[in-house]
Amino acid sequence: MRISCQWLSSLVELPNGASLDPSLVASVLTGVGLEVDAIEPTGAGVESILVGEIRKKEPHPEADRLTLVELFDGETIQSVVCGASNLPEVGGKVAFAPVGARLPGGMEIAPRKVRGAPSTGMICSEEELEIGGDGDGILVLPESWEAGRRLVDLVPEICDTILEIGVTPNRPDALGHVGVARDVAVKLDGRLTLPELGAADVPVSEELVSLEAGDRCGRYLGFVLGGVKVGKSPLWLRVRLHRLGLRAINNCVDITNYVLFEQGQPLHAFDRERLAEGRVVIRRATEGEPFAALDGSEHELGGEDLVIADAAIPQALAGVMGGARSMVDAESEEILLEAAWFAPSGVRASAGRRSIHSDSSYRFERGVDFGEGLDRAALRALKLFETLAGATCTAKAEALGELPRPPSIDLRLSRVHHVLGMPVGAREAERILRGLGVVVKSDGPIGSLHCTAPSHRPDIHREVDLIEELMRFHGLEDLPAEASVPSAPIVETVDPRATVRERLADALCEAGLHEHLAYSFTHPDKLRPFLGEGEAGRIVALSNPLRVPLSVMRTHLLPDLLDALEVNVARHPHAVRLFELGRVYAWAEERSGSAAPTFDPTRAAPVDQIDGLLPEEREQAAILLHGGDAEDGRSAVGVLVHALERLGYQVRVEAFAESKRIPYLHPGVQAAISIISGDTSACVGHVGELHPDIARERGLGDRAGIYVGVVELRALPALPVPVARERPRFPATSRDLSLEIPTVLPAAKVVDALITAAAGAAPDPSAGEDPAQLLGDGIAPGVEVVEDYRGRGVGEGRRALLLRLHYRAVGRTVTDGEIHKLHDVIVQGAIEALSGPELEVRIR
Amino acid sequence: MLDQLNAEQERFLAALPEIADEDALYQLQVTYIGKKGSITGLSKKLGKLTVDERKAFGAELNRVKKAVQAALDGRREELREAARARDLARVEDLTMPAKRPPRGSLHPIRIAQRALIDTFRRMGFDVAEGPHVEHANFNFDALNFQPDHPARDMQDTFVVDDRRGSEDLVLRTHTSPVQIRTMLGRTPPVRIIAPGTVFRCDDDATHSPMFHQIEGLYVDRGVTMADLKATMIQFTAAFFGRSLDIRLRPSYFPFVEPGAELDMQCPFCERAQGGTCSVCKGTGWIELGGSGMVHPAVLESVGVDPEVYTGWAFGFGIDRMAMLMYQIPDLRQMFDGDVRFLRSFSN
Repeated sequence: MRISCQWLSSLVELPNGASLDPSLVASVLTGVGLEVDAIEPTGAGVESILVGEIRKKEPHPEADRLTLVELFDGETIQSVVCGASNLPEVGGKVAFAPVGARLPGGMEIAPRKVRGAPSTGMICSEEELEIGGDGDGILVLPESWEAGRRLVDLVPEICDTILEIGVTPNRPDALGHVGVARDVAVKLDGRLTLPELGAADVPVSEELVSLEAGDRCGRYLGFVLGGVKVGKSPLWLRVRLHRLGLRAINNCVDITNYVLFEQGQPLHAFDRERLAEGRVVIRRATEGEPFAALDGSEHELGGEDLVIADAAIPQALAGVMGGARSMVDAESEEILLEAAWFAPSGVRASAGRRSIHSDSSYRFERGVDFGEGLDRAALRALKLFETLAGATCTAKAEALGELPRPPSIDLRLSRVHHVLGMPVGAREAERILRGLGVVVKSDGPIGSLHCTAPSHRPDIHREVDLIEELMRFHGLEDLPAEASVPSAPIVETVDPRATVRERLADALCEAGLHEHLAYSFTHPDKLRPFLGEGEAGRIVALSNPLRVPLSVMRTHLLPDLLDALEVNVARHPHAVRLFELGRVYAWAEERSGSAAPTFDPTRAAPVDQIDGLLPEEREQAAILLHGGDAEDGRSAVGVLVHALERLGYQVRVEAFAESKRIPYLHPGVQAAISIISGDTSACVGHVGELHPDIARERGLGDRAGIYVGVVELRALPALPVPVARERPRFPATSRDLSLEIPTVLPAAKVVDALITAAAGAAPDPSAGEDPAQLLGDGIAPGVEVVEDYRGRGVGEGRRALLLRLHYRAVGRTVTDGEIHKLHDVIVQGAIEALSGPELEVRIR
Repeated sequence: MLDQLNAEQERFLAALPEIADEDALYQLQVTYIGKKGSITGLSKKLGKLTVDERKAFGAELNRVKKAVQAALDGRREELREAARARDLARVEDLTMPAKRPPRGSLHPIRIAQRALIDTFRRMGFDVAEGPHVEHANFNFDALNFQPDHPARDMQDTFVVDDRRGSEDLVLRTHTSPVQIRTMLGRTPPVRIIAPGTVFRCDDDATHSPMFHQIEGLYVDRGVTMADLKATMIQFTAAFFGRSLDIRLRPSYFPFVEPGAELDMQCPFCERAQGGTCSVCKGTGWIELGGSGMVHPAVLESVGVDPEVYTGWAFGFGIDRMAMLMYQIPDLRQMFDGDVRFLRSFSN
């Protein structure tokens, strides 16, 4: 909302006749919660513009469209070349920029020759002076104005300071200068001085207004104004509207706009001669009823749209916009002026449905004054119609519907102290509240003020709202900083899931990955390759996305990491090591159209009922590795294993059964990550090379080796407490084993087979209670995979796996002989277990 | 025999200088004076000698053995000395690029969020979380955003298609629904912070459709606006290492009354080194966020009696805080995953 400091000053009388300068106004407004976003001085340079009188006009000999003008500037005659077609006749007055003047646009006026004719000064248009939007011709001034006078002395509105203020939705009263002035007056202990009003001492003409929808219109005032002379508004009015960002149209429209910005009350003027039977009916539209708005748009209305109709058709969408048909224009002679209060939610719904948002609907949906302020706005407009359009009020009517009842509130001064933590005295409280228009009586309980909220403050409902008013005007500068003491000990808890998440982030960071953070919404096409069985039907979509690439909630993190990879490879040649830790979203099951439950808006619904309606949100960690020195699938496995082990988990990496393979990973380069706790092992994620088809779809097809992995955080068990391990007291003895196996047989299976065989091997009876076992030495595990050899000496489709098996007993040194026997048993057992019809496993 | 002994010693002495390392020296020792060494072997012939001869030869044998041993020791010492000198002459250029393990980083939002959480934890706040997809009952209704009131337009809301034709599910526009969730679950005193991701339908150079907030809520008997101010000053001291002044400016948020914008004395002015601070534009204040006394309607909606309990709440943007602290010039850099940006945070 733009506020004219000049206008505001005219509405406030300060103690001792002090004046309001713009910086004081700005600090006061910000201090009372009407935050000043910008201070804009206007009219710089226009001080030097004079009233010029045309003394002589003749065509330029060299140019058809130019005129040589002899112009009297109050002292001498100046020769000026002018290109405008609307130059007035001799004796007419224009805005003249003498030599030396600098126009607001920065142009400096200097003597010059135009097509050979000297020109000492310039005749200006509104646009050149930045006091109006009309740039087609020069600004023609009233003939009565004296040549040589400064324009700014005749129209002081030109040099004004405009404040751009942010008005929060609770303050419809501050959407007019009077409301803002009221705050300034209270803050500075001044007085609100209201502008001159007209009178409507005319007979009531009942048939003028019929209200058929009293639930949607609380009050409707109609005034018939006759003898209207539609024309251009005076310059001061046009300048003022221009400063506020409005276009001057004609005096009738300009008056309603002026009153809107002065009183905060939207008015509407109908050309009464174009209203069937010259009357209005406030009613709901019939279904499908057509309406042509004055902005040229056409609408088909519905039964919930409130209209101001004449005896036949809608002439305005109530509170939103007038109709094109009954719009006031140059021909209009009699108008019907409307001042009304429409129910805010109805206007809001109507404006929303029709997508028309006007200055009027903006105010009505916030709630305008239905009391004194409404009358005042109407009478103010009557005054202006009388003085600026020569109109006379000939008849009036008023209809009443349902109006809100201004609440009565007992304000306890002790409560003020209780909420703010500082006291506000009774007299100060009364001064502030009365200044705001609150009716204050001290007939309530002792220590409290009995208050009735004014009709222009729909935001005041209860005691705390009055406390806020006291805070606004008493000021927060003196608020002490005083900590209160808790009434009971506050028990702090730590969510274990949050601990897992933060520690995993640290561990992935420690593994040399950079954390990426992407938007939670993505393009549905990017999710597609990652969707599993039934997942497509569980995607959570937005109804009003900013754009398609941000239209669905992500079901996986990997698409975002691929986006980041694309960004990186396009910008630099270096390795990309990224992780993201965040939520993914999905409906728990495919959703169909059963009706959504409704809840009482004044109560918080039970959490479990709400949560039952929400989609599932799961936390995931995902990694992506590409490029760099030794990036292969095992580096990606290493990152995840490192990170999970860093959290204390016992991790297993195993091959997926063919039926459980992850479709978006390379079929031959993928593994499951499991965590062992106790006797059970649970899969918590997977890792592998991105499927080459997806890489190709993403335009990353020429880039080999994009390794990715995912961990589901909810699958992670509680963080284990570390347990000190045994340090073996006796050395282990190791035996190497070279097995030739098919390439497709995973090393993990070979290791498992050896461990299983060891567990099943019959203990050597001679070793008694402490047999030799396949046991790690405290650092290396019992079975170590040392080398994976393929090539010469090993057949096609086969590989040689070099393993090292460590043996020891707990309380003694083992002998070569017993290990020899045990090793043979274990190896034979494992080979038998591993071998199958298609699987030949043998010792090399 | 003596000749033989002398010859062996000569041979030994001739071989000794050719020895270049300790292993060869050991071999030489074994060859001559080891158990089966040639000099040791001569002692076996002692038995064939007369007593006198044995005495004389024995003495001689011992002398030679000692001399050989001494020569071996001396040579060993020389070899060690030479090896040490060679080792010391070795040069490894440690100014070549270091072989270092890859270094990762946490996202600046996580770093800032953790710093805030740590600070508020020390001040006795519990941490609470909530879902990103939220019901309008929690995101708006229970927070005193009246249905059909323009206050709902204050936050450009993403509506989730719930496939039931309602507009009840939204991406939470603020972390404030966590206030409701927390108060429904426990009785006062409640003292929490709720950090998290929030969403608004807004995308330009200074607004991202997804950003992060940290919400604070304290509800108890006798909690006042003055307590809010005291707590915020305490926060600045704990977070920035010095206590900064706090300024409250009246404002409006539906879920608080009275409501106020919360400004903090600018902690970044010293970076300007006497020039005009670009963060606060020389005003000396920066906006932290919104705050106020929890609206009685909010307390009532969760069944807390506002006559007995009062409370305050605040909400800051974490993204902007991170941008100020880490001097991130552009909001968009934070979300595109360029590792050249991310690695700035690997400390």
